[in-house]
Amino acid sequence: MNPVRTVRLTFGLDDDRIGKAESPLAALRRRLDGRYPRDPFGLDPHLQDMVSPLFSLVARVEVHGGEHIPARGPALLVSNRGVGLLEPAALGVAVRQACGRRLRIVGTPDMPVLGDAFRSVGGIPAYPSDLAAVLRAGHLAAVPLGPTWLRTGAGTPPLELLLAATGFPVVPVAVVPGGPLGLPLRPWRIVVGPAIVTAGDPDDPLEAAELAEAARSGVRGLISGDTSRAERREA
Amino acid sequence: MGGELGTRVAQVLEERDDVAEIIGVDFVPPRRRLHRSEFHRIDPLQRERLADFVASVAPEAVVHVGVYEPYARLDPRAAQQYTEAATVTALGAAARAGSLRRIVVRSGIEIYGRGRGRPAVPDEHAPVAPTTAFGHSCLQVEAIASAVGRAQHAPVTMVRLAPVVGSHVPSPLGRLLRLPVVPVPALADPAFALVAPEDAARALAGALGTDHSGPLNVVGPGAASPWQAVRLGGRVPFPVLSAGWQVAYRIAELAGAPIPSHVVELLAKGRAADGARAVELLALGSLRSTLEICVELFEWATVTHLRATAAAA
Repeated sequence: MNPVRTVRLTFGLDDDRIGKAESPLAALRRRLDGRYPRDPFGLDPHLQDMVSPLFSLVARVEVHGGEHIPARGPALLVSNRGVGLLEPAALGVAVRQACGRRLRIVGTPDMPVLGDAFRSVGGIPAYPSDLAAVLRAGHLAAVPLGPTWLRTGAGTPPLELLLAATGFPVVPVAVVPGGPLGLPLRPWRIVVGPAIVTAGDPDDPLEAAELAEAARSGVRGLISGDTSRAERREA
Repeated sequence: MGGELGTRVAQVLEERDDVAEIIGVDFVPPRRRLHRSEFHRIDPLQRERLADFVASVAPEAVVHVGVYEPYARLDPRAAQQYTEAATVTALGAAARAGSLRRIVVRSGIEIYGRGRGRPAVPDEHAPVAPTTAFGHSCLQVEAIASAVGRAQHAPVTMVRLAPVVGSHVPSPLGRLLRLPVVPVPALADPAFALVAPEDAARALAGALGTDHSGPLNVVGPGAASPWQAVRLGGRVPFPVLSAGWQVAYRIAELAGAPIPSHVVELLAKGRAADGARAVELLALGSLRSTLEICVELFEWATVTHLRATAAAA
């Protein structure tokens, strides 16, 4: 009998929930045999499970309000960011810690090699069509607001992307660095707010604008709330 | 009706009570047993003969599957020529007959093209901008069908299929993946989606039962990547850099599996689409996944040698 007959569809791995770590030998054998799932967006759950411990080392996190992240079904997390890759990495680690789900981070560069590498660990390009497809498929996605250079507030919301997310729960998230300039002196603080639910008319640009404003003020409120909490603690 | 897909569509339609008569035309005979379908062997390049026949039938509905993939059964030039002839002649004659109320055409997700600025998983609202010859063929078929539909006030459904692959389907991708050594991109491993022939047939036949007008993507759930597909079949991946594709193309052609441009594009840049709308509209609940299609592609039925019995002798 041909051995591939016994192979199952997902090979025991889920493209939405994180999997258990495998021994290096078992992981290598799985890679060589091709027994791992892929999703149309390019995510390789097996590879993501292998590299995620490295992200956890680089970005230690402390999650507040993790119960607001849906345990199943689609949702869009909208968060602040500075420059670079640290915020998305910290957010991904926080989501894994809070609810054991995989996060698709919007904003992967649309270019060969590097783009493919980011996609295989959960990135998707910033196309509204791709974001809508991810949400329709029932996954968790994250869209960063425009960068604020000193990580002091919430940046400009990406209207086109939020228009694609109308009808899905939108969860504001504040990502606060552990040290000045994002230096890992203390764990990053990830503060998750309650979901904003919209009526869901994808053809109504006004609704997207209102959603964008609600998301931005939600993130701003979480950042200022976290800052005053930190100041009270220090006092 | 003579190709694998056309024959399967006829089989699905035969099971439906609301379809009174099924009449098919192709330049090759059907590949499976058909019970109540009527088949006529006419070469699409014999335009006059085909037009006369279609006009004499005066169909109420047309499911046009005659969209020929390069190197599936015909070389790229012939595939383009046959596709154009079959589409223009059959749909034109059906329209002139005056009784046409419904059109369903086979198209492909190659119509979206690949490259920078294009979504990785386009839905039906994504702009069409083909980047290969087969994609352009699909675009041309859709344009002709839309024009005929507008003139006849008949709804037109364009069923945009992911690459149809199966162990018994003539397909350039399937043939390539079954070579002992398979060229794969050296620096990329993009995701691609496939659809099983029986699911593609269900979608085409199902579209006939709806009044949906417009495109529908039909894609198997999940995806695979070139390296993964090659290893699933126990084949040896041969990494190729950009200029090396010309050499790989020649070697694969000598080995009996020429690679058309849309397959090179699939291997190098991936190909997927969002098929959620078709699943909902056509009730395609149990589509075979892309990984299952890959696994089945490498399975061959064991040949069982039957001994002659005394009665048979």
